Amino acid sequence: MKRLALAITLAPALAAGHVLAQTLNVNTAGDVNMVEYINDYLGPKFEALHPGVTVRALGTGPGDAGSQAIYEKLAAQRDAETWDVDVAVLHQRMTGQMVREGLLAPYRDEIATGDLVSAENAEVALGADVSGYVMPMFQSQVAIAYNPSLVATPPQSYAELAEWVSEHPDQFGYNGITGGMAGVGFVFGWLYAFTDMAEEMRNGPWREDAPQEWQDALAALREFNRHVTLTPGNAGTLDAMNRGEIAMGPVWMDMFHAWIDDGRLNPDFELLILEPGMPGQPMYYTLPARAAEPELARAFIELATSPEVQAEGIVGMFSWFPGIDAEHVRAELDAETWERFYADVAPEILAERGVSMPQADYFNAILEAYELHVAN
Amino acid sequence: MTPNAIAILRRHGPGLLLVLPALAAIGFLYAYPLLRSVIFAFLDTQGGVTLAHVSRALAFYGRDILFSIGVALASLALIAVVSITIAGYLTLGATPWAVALLRWLYRWPLFIPFIVAAQTARSFLSRNGLMNSVLMELGLLSPAAAQSLLDWRGLILTFAWKQVPFVTLLLAGAMASLDRATIEAARNLGAGRLRCLLGIVLPQVRPNLLVGLILSLVVIMSVLSVPMMIVAGNPTMMTAMMAHRVTYYGDYAVANALGLFSYLLTAFAAWLYLRTTLAREVRR
Repeated sequence: MKRLALAITLAPALAAGHVLAQTLNVNTAGDVNMVEYINDYLGPKFEALHPGVTVRALGTGPGDAGSQAIYEKLAAQRDAETWDVDVAVLHQRMTGQMVREGLLAPYRDEIATGDLVSAENAEVALGADVSGYVMPMFQSQVAIAYNPSLVATPPQSYAELAEWVSEHPDQFGYNGITGGMAGVGFVFGWLYAFTDMAEEMRNGPWREDAPQEWQDALAALREFNRHVTLTPGNAGTLDAMNRGEIAMGPVWMDMFHAWIDDGRLNPDFELLILEPGMPGQPMYYTLPARAAEPELARAFIELATSPEVQAEGIVGMFSWFPGIDAEHVRAELDAETWERFYADVAPEILAERGVSMPQADYFNAILEAYELHVAN
Repeated sequence: MTPNAIAILRRHGPGLLLVLPALAAIGFLYAYPLLRSVIFAFLDTQGGVTLAHVSRALAFYGRDILFSIGVALASLALIAVVSITIAGYLTLGATPWAVALLRWLYRWPLFIPFIVAAQTARSFLSRNGLMNSVLMELGLLSPAAAQSLLDWRGLILTFAWKQVPFVTLLLAGAMASLDRATIEAARNLGAGRLRCLLGIVLPQVRPNLLVGLILSLVVIMSVLSVPMMIVAGNPTMMTAMMAHRVTYYGDYAVANALGLFSYLLTAFAAWLYLRTTLAREVRR
């Protein structure tokens, strides 16, 4: 039924596709796997449904810098009639700013899959209202990976972890804040746990004097760092776990699953999310305000956020958490894949302990406070 | 235009036209960005002059600046010692097959990109890496005593591994073009090979060594992949912190201020080099 509905909504675009050759420019921030996803999976699928259309994917680089590059590209064309980006895949921080500056167009109410997502981060991105402007492509979540043969009963909260590392020096490893977002996310979680400002950090408003209230939490983190191994990068943490140098460390859950699928990580390793919560973030499909092919762009996003594609591509092939609500995806997945995917962290735990990244001003302030008081 | 000016233009015009493309390339691709980054290190958001970025760079990354200088100098020392040894053996070695083998082997790292070298170092020097595993297999190291060299030591070793072939290439070339008679004379008078290297050969190729080391310093100060992949946490090389400033904060001003310290260091090295070479030119 859903497929039929999809086919009906796609039919006009399909018919239009026959008339003339068109190119759909998709720019995506993030690692190379984002470009791979579009080039190897989503693009060909869309092209098959829309004869005459070519999907051209362009990667702008990992991390917020990748989103920044897309922002700069669109901002530079602000006065042009049409822009050369039809679909932009963005991180949260830049999306808020781009909505504010009018660089994006609202589209969620116009596509058939718009009501399949109920996550809070489809409405608010790091404190900025993005309701209607975004569809989550997938959700990533920072969690703790651990080696059960070295840690039988892993600590379940930040407080327990702090105690655990003093008894097991150098057995916990993370990449600080300069080697990738898994370490950054761990630090955000630390401040959520050891200050009473978690809500304020996530939703604002920003206060200039807020960082002064973090001194105790930062001092404790400095002490914590004396007992841990610092690893070079997100991959460095997983490498060190593979070599048995550390027993636990924060990782991106999707990266963890992908490495296991590729045979690059010991499949016995497990995941958990520390209490009170660890941050995660979605990547958003967005529609630039003056995209040259807005119709096609909407059809593309609709296909990308359909339960079928979310199950087969996002979960099945790339081991990401679905961007739309998991319940819509479950029907499309076989029980074995579902079990394997949610084996370590149940969807309820994910919903309870998966929290958002801090609001943009707090985001920077926390990183700078870490550099001054913890790393320096 | 006066006849005089026309005459000058006629004489120098073609020459000027010939160097213009090169001058333009240097101007647009090197001098302009350099000047821009220096200026932006001292401008605030309103366009006024400020020292805030420089003092911020010092407060946040003072330790990293000192660390970078220390690592660079230690790497250069190691590069110098190893290059002199290899080039010396290539010039004065008496076992033909060993010289041939060394000549064939030493250039290999030249063709390997820094990022690959860093990745190799990462799996070689870590606590349970290849080096420690081999030492443990041979019974030379107990597993408990094994430690990771992925810190300043890893940086120095990787930089040296990458730059030794380059400096050796310059040095061995210079040594090969020396007048063999001076070496033969010293040998005939009973000087050992080491004495011959340090007393006769090295003083004659000192400028080449200096050039090699200064170019290596510039490379070391600008490589990003090696510190990113080898060093975890702080302190680390300035390049990694400049990248961090840009990627995480979009803060080009403090990154530029950090760049200033790199310029200062390499400018100092260039000045030293010019001073010694110019002094020699004058003596001639």
